[in-house]
Amino acid sequence: MLGWPRVRVALLASTVIGLIASPSFVLPFYVVVSRAVVVGFAALLAFGLFERWPARLPRWFARWVLQVLAIVLAIPLGVYLAYWLTTGGHPQLGAVSGRWQGYIELTVTGILFAPWIAVGALVRQRDTFAREQETAFALERSELARRALDARFRLLQAQVEPHFLFNTLANVQALVEAGAPQAAKVLKSLIAYLRAALPQLHETVTTLDQELELVRAYLELMQMRMPDRLIFEMRVDATLLKLQCPPMTVLTLVENAVRHGIDPSETGGTIVIEVRLESSRCLASVTDTGVGLNVTGRGLGTGLASLRERLQLAFGAEAQLALSEVVPHGVRAEVSFPARKTQP
Amino acid sequence: MTAQRPTALIAEDEPLLRESLEQQLSLVWPQLAVVARARNGREAIEHFDAHHPDVCFLDVHMPGVTGIEAARHIGHRAHLVFVTAYDQYAVQAFAQGVLDYLVKPVDAARLAQTAARLQERLRTAMAAVNTEVLLQQLAMTLQRQTASAPLRWIRASVGQTVTLIPVLDIDFLRAEEKYTVVAWHEAGGTLREAVIRMPLKELAAQLDETQFAQVHRSVIVNLNSIARVVRGSNETADVHLKGRAEVLPVSRSYLHLFRQM
Repeated sequence: MLGWPRVRVALLASTVIGLIASPSFVLPFYVVVSRAVVVGFAALLAFGLFERWPARLPRWFARWVLQVLAIVLAIPLGVYLAYWLTTGGHPQLGAVSGRWQGYIELTVTGILFAPWIAVGALVRQRDTFAREQETAFALERSELARRALDARFRLLQAQVEPHFLFNTLANVQALVEAGAPQAAKVLKSLIAYLRAALPQLHETVTTLDQELELVRAYLELMQMRMPDRLIFEMRVDATLLKLQCPPMTVLTLVENAVRHGIDPSETGGTIVIEVRLESSRCLASVTDTGVGLNVTGRGLGTGLASLRERLQLAFGAEAQLALSEVVPHGVRAEVSFPARKTQP
Repeated sequence: MTAQRPTALIAEDEPLLRESLEQQLSLVWPQLAVVARARNGREAIEHFDAHHPDVCFLDVHMPGVTGIEAARHIGHRAHLVFVTAYDQYAVQAFAQGVLDYLVKPVDAARLAQTAARLQERLRTAMAAVNTEVLLQQLAMTLQRQTASAPLRWIRASVGQTVTLIPVLDIDFLRAEEKYTVVAWHEAGGTLREAVIRMPLKELAAQLDETQFAQVHRSVIVNLNSIARVVRGSNETADVHLKGRAEVLPVSRSYLHLFRQM
């Protein structure tokens, strides 16, 4: 209410006015100046008080009007107080010659200047507020940029899943030690998967066929690990393969289906991947016949939540991710986003 | 040792790894007879009850019943060896406790050490360590790992299908007798509503407290969906939402939430 910047302005303005006015007084200049300073502070006090009080004003009554009116009323009182202070409690306005005239003169000067200073302060205040809001918007924008980076970082982190990697490597080792001819093929799938999963940091958009190749490599690895529990099928329109696809979109859905649908099930299930075009939107769905949502419950979602965030950052409101339950058990996850051809 | 060969059970859901462990064991411990192979925790328990092997190799992560749960069933009736690919928590617990464990891919030297230790215990007829407390803790740790995350999706029947509503997209929840009305917005901005069977109180316990606030006995609101809060007379207030016409009541006992606003 009475911050140092305000006090400084009041002090400076009243001192200057006091100095300008002092030649017309017979008194020493410091008396005139100190009277002007007291008046200045009275005006400042009124300005600050009515800035907050009363808390509510009728709609038709603007606060700045109240503040200016308060200043106009505060000045004569302030001038009286100034005389009272500088005369040791005996203003005797009528008695001492020239005092009444001085009182009027100081009041008029105060009323002429103070409201303008107040209005100036109000305008400045509004400017500061606007600037603050601008800063807040800029902050929000940078916050969005940070979230985009975060999402990409998490994407990379999520990919290097040690449990998956070591289990798969253990399988590769088993094949190599057994001298199985399969070993080379499995190793090829693992390399394809790792290569596709790792350079994603540099690319924000890949093509659908790159994405599906990654999905196939992943599913082949999982099928080697659980041959009796996993069956998969890919139904993709070949004309769509050159469409853009945000990296790890289909893969996240497939990984989710394996981790939360097939893996917890003793009997396993089938995963069907379907990609099609519908009114210039790309629809990719992953349906599994795993344990469904009952069993996995709350564990479900880390990967999907991060995918949702990534889609939102890439497409805004134009991308959608929906999950639904499959009868008798299983989950269907579907993403849809605008179909765009990659630039040649 | 001529009278009876020691017996073992291997529980591992991945067939290649199951065969590989048996193969490796035959090299470092030729006398050991693998009498049962299980593909999950349930089978492990069944086979144990049928064969009563001396040693059980249990994969920690298996579909259905986990290796830890199977171990709790077996108790100290057999010597246990856990097998895991990568579980910080589990490995930490194994290392601290007296439990034997192997890390996948299984290292031959490490397996030989484990086999030697087991042979020693069998030879001296040492009883298997009682691990119930440790296993119970471990089972809880593993469970907490999956259960501690706040609720991310709510299941709701919309027409014929069961949909998952992302919790972050929920605008508010309103109790209606035994049911809860969930109001949310889709990515495109479409407003949706669904009724779910779970009572509001039960849902409230699972929501992220920094995101959702109860403003009324029967209303929980997403703080991000609030456009403004208007104070009314008599110590009440109304919550206006972004992009929604509904106005939610704030009752007296929850008004303190908005005091500082």
